[in-house]
Amino acid sequence: MEMEIQPRALACREYETLLADYVLGECAPVEASRVDSHLRGCRNCHAALEEARAGSNWLRVGVPLLDKSPEPRPEFARLTMARIRSEAEQAGDRSGFWQPFVVFAWRFAATAMVALVILLTYAVRGHYAPRTAAGLQGPLADVFAPDPTRVPANQDEILIMVAETDHANGND
Amino acid sequence: MAASAPALSIPIEKRKSVEEERELVRMAQRGEEPAFEELVRRHQQRVFALVGGILRRQEDVEDIAQQVFLKVYLSLRKFDQRAAFSTWLYKITVNECWDYLRKKKVRPLVYESDLSEEQVSRLDGIVSAERVSLNPNERAEVKQLLERMLDRLPEQDRQLLVLKEIEGFSVQELAEILGLNVNTVKVRLFRARGRILDGYRRRLGSAERYGANSAANREG
Repeated sequence: MEMEIQPRALACREYETLLADYVLGECAPVEASRVDSHLRGCRNCHAALEEARAGSNWLRVGVPLLDKSPEPRPEFARLTMARIRSEAEQAGDRSGFWQPFVVFAWRFAATAMVALVILLTYAVRGHYAPRTAAGLQGPLADVFAPDPTRVPANQDEILIMVAETDHANGND
Repeated sequence: MAASAPALSIPIEKRKSVEEERELVRMAQRGEEPAFEELVRRHQQRVFALVGGILRRQEDVEDIAQQVFLKVYLSLRKFDQRAAFSTWLYKITVNECWDYLRKKKVRPLVYESDLSEEQVSRLDGIVSAERVSLNPNERAEVKQLLERMLDRLPEQDRQLLVLKEIEGFSVQELAEILGLNVNTVKVRLFRARGRILDGYRRRLGSAERYGANSAANREG
């Protein structure tokens, strides 16, 4: 049997806070007289005040009869701490199950990091190292960096040696 | 001089207890369980009142209160003590209650049989007359009707009224817990008081008209 809610009187916005204090008798005398004079000319505020007064009457008479919230048991704090401990332990157990996987993942990551550093070091050294003749090996070594003490084997080698000597002396 | 001593001692005592609580929080943040247990002891009553006031049911109050303290314990390290510990704790409590209501999808009670117009009108007369003593039947009826009036209110209005009027929270405390301005809380309480009789106003109106008509008939 739900009742339809009736439209209520709306108090003037600028007087609502004052009316809230006024209905509880918590208004300063100056403000109370200001509210009194406003109420004489404002039907809406007057009606809103009457409704709030009726509600306050019901609360004043009825609230002492209502059941308050239950009181905590004397052992509530102890039981709460026990629950907290048990939940914390369970959380610890849950993390304990994953612990070996976590350790493995960290070790794997560390090894990968070291390998990466080593590879990068090699790459950087290889890129910036001066390409000296000593670094060359095989048949090209003789062509680009012939041993100066060696006797040329044929006419081509003689020509190369002459050209290199000229280039070194700036006689291009 | 002697008269001013108690007035001076109150703020000092309060300051002491605030400082003591901050120290307890710091100790609990370092993982000292006895310190946290002391905090639970200090605030358990207010947490119960808050949970009971919002849920308006006796069952589950203890379980939710424990859940609140567990959450507080787990996130205590993040609490920077810029606000009072109690304000932070009560905010967590309110959120936990709202979560519970959302999960359980608790609907306001709808009563199968309601009081008659005459009963409502008679009880309103008793309440308005501010009679000092009520007989046991009247007490039971007034209690029953007020419970129904509160249950018919919109959720926010009901919670505010219950916390203020039944559980004894101050306007200032409610403003801090709900993150509202003090004046906003006052205005909401004023409107909520006005709405208490909303569901019964038509009945009261018709009963009054019924009373006036029968009086006119008698005179006629």
